[in-house]
Amino acid sequence: MKRMIRPFLAAALAAAALFLTAPAGAAGPDVGECMDCHGDKTIEKTLPNGQTVSLHVDLQAYRSSVHGKDSCVTCHAGAKAPHEKLAMVDCGRCHGDSAKSYAMSSHGKARAKGATDVPGCSDCHGKHDIRAPKDPAARTFRLNIVGTCLQCHKDQALEQKYNLPGQQVMIAYQQSVHGLASSKGGLTGSAVCPDCHGNHTILPGDDPKSATFRQNIPTLCGKCHSGILEKYEASVHGKGMRAGIAESPVCTDCHGEHTISRVSDPNSPVFARNIPKTCSGCHDKEGISSRYALPKKRFSSYMDSFHGIAVEYGMTKAANCASCHGVHEILPASDPASSVNKANLPETCGKCHPKAGPNFAKGNVHVEVSPSKAMGVFAVRLFYTLFIGALAILFALHVGLDLYGRWNRRKENGPGGKEGQS
Amino acid sequence: MSRADLAAGNVIRMSLLFRVQHLLLTVLLTVLAVTGFALMYHENSLARWIIRLEGGVHNRGITHRIAAVLLMANLVYHAFYMLLSREGKPELRQFFIGRQDIDDFLQSLRYNLGMAKEYPRFGKYGYKEKFQYWGASVGIVLISVTGIMLWAEEFSMRFFPKFILDLALVIHGYQGLLGFVLLYLWHIYNVHLHPSVFPMNPSWITGKVSAEWLRREHPLEYEKLKEEGLL
Repeated sequence: MKRMIRPFLAAALAAAALFLTAPAGAAGPDVGECMDCHGDKTIEKTLPNGQTVSLHVDLQAYRSSVHGKDSCVTCHAGAKAPHEKLAMVDCGRCHGDSAKSYAMSSHGKARAKGATDVPGCSDCHGKHDIRAPKDPAARTFRLNIVGTCLQCHKDQALEQKYNLPGQQVMIAYQQSVHGLASSKGGLTGSAVCPDCHGNHTILPGDDPKSATFRQNIPTLCGKCHSGILEKYEASVHGKGMRAGIAESPVCTDCHGEHTISRVSDPNSPVFARNIPKTCSGCHDKEGISSRYALPKKRFSSYMDSFHGIAVEYGMTKAANCASCHGVHEILPASDPASSVNKANLPETCGKCHPKAGPNFAKGNVHVEVSPSKAMGVFAVRLFYTLFIGALAILFALHVGLDLYGRWNRRKENGPGGKEGQS
Repeated sequence: MSRADLAAGNVIRMSLLFRVQHLLLTVLLTVLAVTGFALMYHENSLARWIIRLEGGVHNRGITHRIAAVLLMANLVYHAFYMLLSREGKPELRQFFIGRQDIDDFLQSLRYNLGMAKEYPRFGKYGYKEKFQYWGASVGIVLISVTGIMLWAEEFSMRFFPKFILDLALVIHGYQGLLGFVLLYLWHIYNVHLHPSVFPMNPSWITGKVSAEWLRREHPLEYEKLKEEGLL
């Protein structure tokens, strides 16, 4: 009897073993078998150009990867042991959505054209050691992703080949408030490359579909800075932008993009001392003033005021544009809700000058010295100019006449004479 | 006047108190001009350099205000001294402007043009001194009032609309320009560059002038002193 059963048992065991090791019913080798060769640290192949590539697979790293519970043939479909060159792994078989959006990105398009030096899945995610983005050891973890992007984006050869933004842009990001918050502060909430540029869908900023396209910027920044977005949307700038006016400023026009830094940073374009220059970048332009019927000479009239001079020389306590006009919530003076509406001026001035009452707010704040805008100041200045000029001429005439008289009398010796006096 | 002075032919023209007041005025007006014009012409590169030298726009303001307070104190002291003191009262009287000064001015013009034989005979102060004195006084009063308005801006804002302060600022600056550029140049000519005193009239330091100079330049004063037996 025993003799009869043994072959059956053996067959059943073999079948069970086969079933357990290859549940999908594929006839490929199991991980252990693959590791027979690929566990060897010295295994390598030589490319046609003479370069050698290691074929070693770190089993430990693979086992702790997201795919660690799968088998080699899940990705390397159809692999036999031993095998020749395998087909490219197609991540899209499982990750269809990601593959689709990747295909529409700059990276995907370039790769579809045959470029091999633009990143595919594995360049960012890794190969056998892929980890979930939430895993601090992942290449795509929020605190590691910048380094991952910079693998290529710090390469000057690639920069030139694909006309990419220069090194200084990357360095600027690393020194920006966002870059420092993640690299130094360890904050995972700070913006890293894909937060603004997207991950699989990454596109250049001049593509209307890009997240960094000009018109999309407020929404983009608003993902994190939603309170500010709300204020901005209600402002004259925000409304203009939504109405499709391309000249209307978006976040990056005032704050910068990769260089973005704290308001308290003296290099920031929104640092108190730099605000007048930043605002006047648009508001001192003839075209913008006339297109949108804005009052002119706002910059020069401010810079000549006490506030302007004080700010220029570093007394940042003095009012800059934003102190009176607001920041994200800027509204035209004609709007009753505006901080520079005539009715609200006493309150606005009162922020710094509590005693400045409604009486003070009469008249123009920006003094543009012209007969129609500030007659009094214009007239006084004109009077003094003429008066000083006239007196100067009279003095010169008096002195000249004095010397003339002395010259004529140079031989006499009397008052105003040779040795005399006048 | 000591015997030694008389022997040397010297006459006191400025007493010590007046010299101190004058010296203060000189120093303070210079400080005020340097700090003030740096602000007025803040875009100019020289002004930038001066403001940096003064330790920034904040310290510039402090310097300007300290000098201003001293100048105003000097002015108030001078006013009281001229109105109330034994030395000041007759001095002030000699500064009064009269019909004579206009005549003197016109006569000096005619004289220099060769249309008059006589040069006007001045007392202690001729029209040039009087013009200088009253010009500077009115200027300093005007510049002090506007300066105080601008300094006490919280106070001013309560009572005046902004355009009044704008005007005060313009007057303050241009009055400074008028005072400094014109009166200063006028004064420099009269007391330094004028051939009769070149390189300078020493009285602002020593207080004294020569009796001979006084006789030629201010004959009425010379005769008065002689009459009083002081010469």
